[in-house]
Amino acid sequence: MPEPINYYNILGIPFDATDEEVRTAYREAARRVHPDTSKNPDTAEHFILIQRAYEVLSNPDQRSSYDLTLPDVFTKPPVLLSTMFSRSSIQRKSEPQLIYVLLKLSANAGNTKYTNPPLNVCLVIDRSTSMQGTVMDTVKKTAIELVRLLRPEDIISIVSFSDKADVIVPAGTNQDRTKVEKSIQMLNPGGGTEIFKGLEQGFAEVKRYRTPKAVNHIILITDGRTYGDEPACEVLADQAAHLKIGVSSLGIGGKWNDVFLDRLAAKTGGSSMYISKPRDVEILLKEKFRGLGDCFADRAYLKFDIGPGTELRYAFRLQPETSMLEVNSPIQLGAIQQVSKLEVLLEMYIHPVSSERGTINLIKGRLFFDIPHRADPQYSMRVEITRPTSNDPDPMPPPQAIVHAMSQLTLYRMQERARQEVAKGNIKEATRRLQFLATNLISQGQRDLARTVLGEAANIQQNSTFSEDGEKRIKYGTRALLLPSSKEEKGS
Amino acid sequence: MIICPNCRHEEISGAIFCSECGTLLEGLSGFTTQNIPSTPPDQNAEVEEKVQPAQVIPDLEADVSLCVVDTGQVIPLDEREEFTLGRSAEGQPILPDIDLAPYRAYENGVSRLHASIKKQGRQLTATDLGSVNGTRLNGQKIPPHKPCALNHGDILTLGKLKIQILIRR
Repeated sequence: MPEPINYYNILGIPFDATDEEVRTAYREAARRVHPDTSKNPDTAEHFILIQRAYEVLSNPDQRSSYDLTLPDVFTKPPVLLSTMFSRSSIQRKSEPQLIYVLLKLSANAGNTKYTNPPLNVCLVIDRSTSMQGTVMDTVKKTAIELVRLLRPEDIISIVSFSDKADVIVPAGTNQDRTKVEKSIQMLNPGGGTEIFKGLEQGFAEVKRYRTPKAVNHIILITDGRTYGDEPACEVLADQAAHLKIGVSSLGIGGKWNDVFLDRLAAKTGGSSMYISKPRDVEILLKEKFRGLGDCFADRAYLKFDIGPGTELRYAFRLQPETSMLEVNSPIQLGAIQQVSKLEVLLEMYIHPVSSERGTINLIKGRLFFDIPHRADPQYSMRVEITRPTSNDPDPMPPPQAIVHAMSQLTLYRMQERARQEVAKGNIKEATRRLQFLATNLISQGQRDLARTVLGEAANIQQNSTFSEDGEKRIKYGTRALLLPSSKEEKGS
Repeated sequence: MIICPNCRHEEISGAIFCSECGTLLEGLSGFTTQNIPSTPPDQNAEVEEKVQPAQVIPDLEADVSLCVVDTGQVIPLDEREEFTLGRSAEGQPILPDIDLAPYRAYENGVSRLHASIKKQGRQLTATDLGSVNGTRLNGQKIPPHKPCALNHGDILTLGKLKIQILIRR
């Protein structure tokens, strides 16, 4: 039986296209292949198809009966999007207000378990002098173990860098894994830290075998601060995002620039992790690989417009890996895993709402992602987030999931603000914030973290600055509270 | 606009937590710490100081105990170095180590997280955790977030709730 003609593909529009989008696409397509303007004899036939597609899709009745003839794989959304709001309606009033939106994205796969997509991953390893010893030994040992776990279809490349970068394992198919292990063994520390050089090489390696049917990712492992080449790295991250290559980093110890590595993650949908003990490199690197492998849809990003009178103030990914996100379109969200949901919390600021106003548009746009196991991996779906208005405030308390997420995110943001105050030299303000943070941590049973916070409060009073280690312990400690598993963790 | 009941910070309506001090703002009506009118300092101080240490230190493993003055109930402080004092409230994730809710804490203006007591060897200190109605040591208000040394027989007043410190020598 021949496949039915797909009118959506003919117009180049997604299945959930609005009437407006159907019209626009038709007009553009018709202009392109109009028999009067084109000399190509095939266009006449194509033009008729476009006409037919428009006839069917612009008529709601015809469109819905036509939709029934299409295969499931085309009509069933591969990803489910659910939204939760801190309040069900927005009150019409003359003062600004906040509304929180919890977005949950999950694989619409039912009980089907798909084979994990092939990996195309580059490990970019800092081999500056300071990595010598346990850190480098653990990195090497873990890298070798990971190479042994790879399937034949996976591609790994390894770049090491100090003040220059070397490709020690080039990306490629049919890699000789024993040779790869030997090359890792040969890795010897020495030199400075120039992250850009490493990233640039890693980028080149991943780029060569980049395909929408694989997970394309760069993992940077570093313990140092890079000087002067941060802007270049950010440009590179933008290029990576454009080519749908993720960048994640593992920062070891207190010296690396977490703000910078967070930005690289936010730009590409990756993550940044803090490693306080060298031995944790093994746990976190393996976890990262597991996370990359367990991928249903990759490189999800939201391209959107913000509704009039509203602002997106803060965006944070709660799951699977906690990460700050961009607040401007497009927001790179990372991968949608098979097992756990991708959860994002948005804080939206609503300007005063006049008494006549009806529904408020918060976000209008499209969610794009690739599904590696599909013949045609690229997919997009419409996202429209709106709220009705009301004269009275919503009497219901916010849903527990939002309250819980915000209780932890508030602590993370208190830490952020303490850092901002220190940066501005407001030691008194910063101290006060840290003390409040410690009080909250104690109340949650996080005694160790509370102690670190109070230690840093004393530190900033003396030295007007955080200790490098303490600063990161607090940041990643409060961030870790957002993970579902941290509920059981009570101080020692 | 919402005013945080704990630190008086102004938040935009719709905020769920105070960005300053982390207090839950939503659904608080009826659950906030009662603001009790401040009594002139030391009005009762002299009387308080005369309170004799509880007759018998009950036979407990603990070196340190708290005695709720109004009711005479004794709460042992053992197994740990540090304890938070406060009152549990429905729908709140905050649970102090020593829950004073059964001792009419709400009526007495005790915050959900009011103060902490810390043991360091023979040293015992109390710290007010930025509570709404403050903490007094023998009638004198102690500054928030500053540890103050405690001795046997001292009276710690959380809001209006009086607690005597008992230390076994």
